[in-house]
Amino acid sequence: MATGTAVDVVMPQMGVSVSEGTITKWSKQVGDHIEADETLLEISTDKVDTEVPSPASGVISEILVSEGQTVDVGTVLARIGGEAGAAAAAPAEAAAPPEPAQAAAPEPATQAAAGESEAAATELAAPLAQPAQPVAQENGKSFVSPVVARIASEHGIDPAQVPGTGSGGRVTKKDIQAFIEAGGQQQAAPAQTVPTQAPAPQAPPQAAPQAPAPSREPQAPGSGETLEPMTAMRRGIADHMRRSLDTSAHVTSAIEVDMSKVVAIRQKLKKEYGAAYGVNPTYLSFIARATVETLRDYPWVNGEIRGDQIVSKSFVNLGFAVELTDGKGLIVPVVKNAETLNLLGMAKAIADVAKRARDKQLTPDDVTGGSFTITNPGGYGTFHGTPVISQPQAGILGTYAIVKRPWVITDDNGADAIAIRSIMNLTLTYDHRLVDGAYAGRFLRDLRERLQTWGEADY
Amino acid sequence: MAIARQAEPSGSLDEARDAGLDREDLFQIYRNMLVTRGVEERGHILYRQGKIPGSFYTGRGNEAAAVGVASAMGNDDVGTPLHRDMGVHITRGVEPWRIFAQYMGRADGPTHGKDGNVHMADANLGLLAMVSHLPAMLPVAVGCALAFRIREEKRVAVAWSGEGAMARGDAHEGMNFAGVRRLPVVFICDNNQWAYSTPTHLEYAVEHLADRAQAYGFDGVVVDGTDVLAVYREAKRAIEKARAGGGPTLIECQTLRMEGHAVHDDAFYVPKELFERWAERDPIERYRTWLRENAEMRDEEEEEITAHVKKLLSDALQRADESPQPDPATLTDGVYATPEDLDTPHHK
Amino acid sequence: MAEKTYLQAISDGLRQEMRRDKRVFVLGEDVGVYGGAFKVTLGFQEEFGAWRVIDAPLSETAIMGGATGAAIMGLRPVAEMQFADFVSCAWDHLVTVAAKQRWRAGTPVPIVLRLPSGGGFSGGPFHSQNPESSFAHIPGLKCVCPATPEDAKGLITAAIEDPNPVLFFEHKHLYRRIKGEVPDDRYVTPIGKARIHQEGDDVSVITWGAMVYTAEEAAKQVDASVEIVDLRTIMPWDRQAVLDSARKTSKVLVLHEDTRTGGFGAEIAATIAEEAFEDLDAPVKRIAAPDCPVPFSPVLEKAFIPQVDDVARGLKELISY
Repeated sequence: MATGTAVDVVMPQMGVSVSEGTITKWSKQVGDHIEADETLLEISTDKVDTEVPSPASGVISEILVSEGQTVDVGTVLARIGGEAGAAAAAPAEAAAPPEPAQAAAPEPATQAAAGESEAAATELAAPLAQPAQPVAQENGKSFVSPVVARIASEHGIDPAQVPGTGSGGRVTKKDIQAFIEAGGQQQAAPAQTVPTQAPAPQAPPQAAPQAPAPSREPQAPGSGETLEPMTAMRRGIADHMRRSLDTSAHVTSAIEVDMSKVVAIRQKLKKEYGAAYGVNPTYLSFIARATVETLRDYPWVNGEIRGDQIVSKSFVNLGFAVELTDGKGLIVPVVKNAETLNLLGMAKAIADVAKRARDKQLTPDDVTGGSFTITNPGGYGTFHGTPVISQPQAGILGTYAIVKRPWVITDDNGADAIAIRSIMNLTLTYDHRLVDGAYAGRFLRDLRERLQTWGEADY
Repeated sequence: MAIARQAEPSGSLDEARDAGLDREDLFQIYRNMLVTRGVEERGHILYRQGKIPGSFYTGRGNEAAAVGVASAMGNDDVGTPLHRDMGVHITRGVEPWRIFAQYMGRADGPTHGKDGNVHMADANLGLLAMVSHLPAMLPVAVGCALAFRIREEKRVAVAWSGEGAMARGDAHEGMNFAGVRRLPVVFICDNNQWAYSTPTHLEYAVEHLADRAQAYGFDGVVVDGTDVLAVYREAKRAIEKARAGGGPTLIECQTLRMEGHAVHDDAFYVPKELFERWAERDPIERYRTWLRENAEMRDEEEEEITAHVKKLLSDALQRADESPQPDPATLTDGVYATPEDLDTPHHK
Repeated sequence: MAEKTYLQAISDGLRQEMRRDKRVFVLGEDVGVYGGAFKVTLGFQEEFGAWRVIDAPLSETAIMGGATGAAIMGLRPVAEMQFADFVSCAWDHLVTVAAKQRWRAGTPVPIVLRLPSGGGFSGGPFHSQNPESSFAHIPGLKCVCPATPEDAKGLITAAIEDPNPVLFFEHKHLYRRIKGEVPDDRYVTPIGKARIHQEGDDVSVITWGAMVYTAEEAAKQVDASVEIVDLRTIMPWDRQAVLDSARKTSKVLVLHEDTRTGGFGAEIAATIAEEAFEDLDAPVKRIAAPDCPVPFSPVLEKAFIPQVDDVARGLKELISY
């Protein structure tokens, strides 16, 4: 049968337990004509070697798998007829990455860029789960069975108010039914019912576990104390932080960077970018750009330990830590394939995730898959810190306030002088299981070099 | 030392007539053998093109045994053919397009995609679908004969088994029950000499499997399975004997399995000379020669048959290809039967 | 209406159907001349003849395979395994052929397989088993376990009428011990519907077969209102009745004579946990035989089969939870 549209030639399954086959010989080439049922290629499986007859008549438009290659059953091996379009399966695209959030103001809130504070606080993108534990019981065992919890919620009753006759003083179904019948008090229950909703998946930072089961034995506050339940996000952060410190060997190295060149270039570009693209080239975008370049030479800082293997990646999925409103927590949206972005692209990407984080439009995909993270603990003027690595990454870069300092500079004649320079601290917190001090030191050195020698032509 | 009777080879046109076959019948037998082989050859190609999932089995070399026996069955007789017996389905009237649809797991196959390769049958044509466990259908065929005996109907059941499957208890228990009760069932043993890679001397210790019939109280016959008219003659004799109340017969049809156990098996363990020797006795070639020499089949007649078969198969393939894939939503339909399902030819 | 034993009820139901429909026939070992190992078919061969009450050879394959083929050809066989324990010799034809034929080939297989099951009389490992859960697990088969004489007659009639393979588990230890009122005329007890053996508010016992009577005795020993649900059919089982009872009392005890792990009670408990979670005031409890073959010595067998005291204890634990 001649074909108008392309017909796929697939790897057949020669036997029920066979899952792959190897091409041993192509009998035809691209451009050749072939008749239906004529032998097109020969294959070898672990059960048998056989010829594969062509499923159609036509001209061979593509051959996708070459001799000697082994592929799974069902893989398209060639195409007959139709357009000779490349069946490029290449997935990797820097499709518009999720807009990076504004890392909470690398612009120093202090001196250098007064009034430049990008809105540091963003709201959590995903809805927070409501605190969902039952309130502490005060009589005997604090366990509330499912049916009692349901009846309690249906009637707005606090089970703690119901006398319990069950084992250990527990409130039984009969107890609460009797209580209701006797006209028991309705209370506006501060707590909600049985935790039925899990926290929204976007809520916790990357790889954070879901909220654990509600505590069985909360205690009453002491004098002068108030209690509030942990939000799902807070619990998620707590778990992740603990787990991260238990997993990685956290070591921090710091370096001072003279940002004067960047400051100057940024002044120039602000106007141009603002007018032409509506984008503000933040310090963060410069740092991010330089970081991505430097990671290329230090892949393990962008790497991962998986079991006994070291994973190196040809891409940089760059996470930016974002603080939430009122300091209730943080979220880390990820700019995927940041290595494909130039300065303008980076600035746009960061602005985009910031906006989407603010507008609560981050998706689960936006907060997963990161390979390296940049955070700014210095938004409020601090000059040093030791952030926690976001698992399963191997490093996290901390940026701090840019501060004008008196600085010793050496001129071309070798003479020393004191000048006022914009100095910024950078820290790299790294997992010493994978990255050694010297490696980290060289990374920071090269990063500093890039930032200090940023040329007007560098984008 | 053999006990079973050795059947005579097929004879002249007159002998065929005496056996009840006129010239049209003889041509129909030829047509059925060609369709059988054509269906399996085309299926083999489809399988290697990746259009048929799972595994693919053929009965290449068994066309005469299958068509011969099926041609001797009466309209109301029933049978439990196996995977080398495509010829039985074709002879009883299963349409090739439905067989292709079955192979390809489509919604219009006889099992609507729920079972594959030859695990199919049309109950309206008196055939019961086989299972993988062999020869599990043998005692079931005996059960059919039991029903005929209880209702005193002049109908016969035909049970198929391979020579390997004859090693299982099902064969013994089924044949014993049939012999004890003198039930109207005929047992066909397709002895194609290889049970996957196991040769006959590792499957049974008697000279012929047909010799075992004596142990169950009935007769056994050994016949050349590549000689379709000899098979027909023996099958007809046994079926009519059963119909008349004479009890079972065990017919052993000797052939060679001309391909692997399934087509993913290249049968390296079968000596090449064996293939060469039996290729010379190809059942279709043999019969074609017989037709030309004894029934004066002319070129035009042969060409007409060949062309008819070719068109039948290519139309069948196209029609099967248009059949849709089964809908996953129907997966658990029909696990249980409803009273309406009992409206079959057998339940009237 | 007359008072009959459980065994007489089965016998009556079968006889009534054989008189009514000549497609129905009996196939098993010693069922004809001997009248059946337990005398269920006593007098049948005299009435219906040797080709309707067939003494099969000692071959469960011939019986099961034979019944399958005959049913496909339009008859309505009532086959028998002399003891339920021997069904393992008939497994292949039951599970491979009969259970799957309708689904994959559109061919119904209307057979009944009678299985004298259960222990309590030193039958030992091979004459005392309750294999219903194995078959409830196979799609295409139905399994019924009557406890009362009235249900025994109604369910054998229903089983013969049903176009599917139906496994009829008749509890041997009930044959002559249990008597009840049984209507004389023909009636059908629906397959798939449970029966409330006794109503209660405080705790539900879900059970079947001989254990219904054990539950009844145990309920008398506790100071609570106990509801007993007799499932009657294991596959398809009456989920609605069980869930209704669970929601009513909020405390459930599942009781069966079969061994515990993978016994059908596991399916019931899992379903209650899945679908009535918010109605539970206690975890779902199971009482069943321990995971070992059925022992022979009376002392051991008593430790194996759930006794009235075991069930009473379980009920008390649930009630006081």
